[in-house]
Amino acid sequence: NNSYQLSSLPLHILLYVNGVYYIFYFLATLAMIIYKSQVFSYPDEFLVPDLAVLFLMAVLEVPRLYLGFKGNLTEAEAPLGLSLGLTVGSVLLCVYLLLWQSYVLWADVLLNAVLLASYGLESGLKVTAIAAFVS
Amino acid sequence: PADTRDAAQAQVRSAPAPVTDVARLCVCDLLVAQCDTNCCCDPDCSAEDFSLFTTCSIPVVMGDSQLCSQKAAVYSLDVEANPPERIFKLIDRVNPSIFCIHSTNYEQALYLKSPEIPTAENFDELLDKFGGATFSAEPDSWNLDTDAQNSPETNETSRYEYGVPVQTEDAFLRLPSPVVSSWCSDANPAGFLVNQATKCIRSVSVEKCDSIQALSMLFYINSSILASVFQVNITVQSIVVQSVNGMRTLLSPSEVLRLPKVLDELCINAVLGVNYHITHTDTGEIIEAAAAFVLGAISREVLSIEQSFEISFTQENTQPVPLSGNPGYVVGLPVRAGFQPQGYPSPAAFLFASLALSSNKHSQLTILHSTSTQDCLAAQGARTPVLFGYNMISGCKLRITAAMKCQPLAQTLLDVLKGQSFPEYVASFGNSQAQDVLDWVPITQLHISEQMIPHTLQSSCQIPVSLGIEVKWTKYGSLVNPQARIVNVTATITSTTLKQLPSGRERIIPITSSVVFTDISSPAEPSYKAWPTINIKLPFDFFYPFV
Repeated sequence: NNSYQLSSLPLHILLYVNGVYYIFYFLATLAMIIYKSQVFSYPDEFLVPDLAVLFLMAVLEVPRLYLGFKGNLTEAEAPLGLSLGLTVGSVLLCVYLLLWQSYVLWADVLLNAVLLASYGLESGLKVTAIAAFVS
Repeated sequence: PADTRDAAQAQVRSAPAPVTDVARLCVCDLLVAQCDTNCCCDPDCSAEDFSLFTTCSIPVVMGDSQLCSQKAAVYSLDVEANPPERIFKLIDRVNPSIFCIHSTNYEQALYLKSPEIPTAENFDELLDKFGGATFSAEPDSWNLDTDAQNSPETNETSRYEYGVPVQTEDAFLRLPSPVVSSWCSDANPAGFLVNQATKCIRSVSVEKCDSIQALSMLFYINSSILASVFQVNITVQSIVVQSVNGMRTLLSPSEVLRLPKVLDELCINAVLGVNYHITHTDTGEIIEAAAAFVLGAISREVLSIEQSFEISFTQENTQPVPLSGNPGYVVGLPVRAGFQPQGYPSPAAFLFASLALSSNKHSQLTILHSTSTQDCLAAQGARTPVLFGYNMISGCKLRITAAMKCQPLAQTLLDVLKGQSFPEYVASFGNSQAQDVLDWVPITQLHISEQMIPHTLQSSCQIPVSLGIEVKWTKYGSLVNPQARIVNVTATITSTTLKQLPSGRERIIPITSSVVFTDISSPAEPSYKAWPTINIKLPFDFFYPFV
């Protein structure tokens, strides 16, 4: 890194890619839940929690990405820390969709695994960036 | 003791767990304790049976194919080996689709729901859900809109087809029958050529005796049947009056209508049963209709009576003979049997003449009918006809005292088992005529004596204890519409030795009779058309001038 620029470029790229991938992930998972409810027996008491988790994750993603971008660009560790906290929440929701959904298809496993991998990488980069900003 | 009882009760209350192990599931195992042909997963088959199979009817049994990986049991026949043997493999099958189910967290996802067993706690809720006459809202088709059917087109009533409701002046010929519950519904139409017999319950009261329409004869005969260009009136064929204690008397024939009226706290002339007889031509036109009534008396404390209705269709100038199938036997219809008339020589003679075919059900193939007393000697004569395809077993208990003599006892038991007139021939097809001798199969009789003690004297008492009738049938005819044909009937009487009892003691022996139907059809062979041959004929002077 240059001494006068602490913003992390890999983090920025990863956040951008994550944003685009998340849109695809959200639409694909929603489409698969609709497919599952038509093809398999999916009573309401099991469908509602799964949909709620998906929409909650979408709601969390927007501030998470915004705070990530802002923290990285303004080299402030508070928004980045907050974004890291929200990432932890997103990771938990993603793990739920990977393991504890009513029907976990093979496509679900792939999508969620990729998302988890990108969250993990992002968290690592954020921690590095916070360490760089603080010091 | 209280908790073990609760635990035992809890165990009884849950339904048995469904079998999900693919190695134990076998869909082609239909016969109990017998080997099914070409069923490679049948546990009742031995290695010799497998060597006779030609193919496996079920080659693979596997779990839900939507799972990403599931167990599959693969059955195949190794025809190269001598003798052919069955190969059973348990493999893991993988579903390559990206939308295969990797895992589920919802246990009932892939299995049918087990029904709830009623307990004291959920009984009320289950009764609310399932206790009514229908489980869900009645669909519209139940409310038969008689007004809509009220305008018959006269052109269409000239010829009736099978099952079409018989039209009358106002609506259709009604045959009251129970619908969803046992109460009579008057909206059931009688279908043409559909012989029906129904019984239902009607609520009555002596006060309203003459106002309840369904109790009066007029209700059943007042409308006339529409047939071609004229209308056929329903005539009263006969009236039987049933007294309060059940005795029936046939009234002298007269056309007098007897309407219900109150007399001495009884309602007399109430209709208890109607029997319609409709005569038709061979082109489907109704020419005659008659009704035979059973009238009875209703006393004051009776709140409901059971009415029985029957309708039968006869073609004009024919005597109906009930067939058991046309031509193959229909499952559930009685097996037809007959005798060779006396005085005729052995079956080798070609002048065989007709077998005595009678429609009296007691000279059909019958077996012992179990009665509630279960005493063989008390209920002599109760027989039930053997129905094609229905394996039956019945029996009774014989109490033997020391005073009983052997020979008369053996003869009585033979009568109990075989009945008064055990037939000698069984019809091969459901519509076999008595003149076609070759269509009748002789009953082979076997006697097996069950030796209890191997070295008893031959002069000791042998009494028959069981009669087993085995009927072997095969599928005959075309592949798409196979007809059942009886090929062989064997009646086996098993006797056992009766030891002499010390005086004063008695013994109870069970006597059984059974009928088993076995399918011995050989696999169907497709037949193909012959290859077309090229038929070239040269003109006869082709080789002129050499020939």
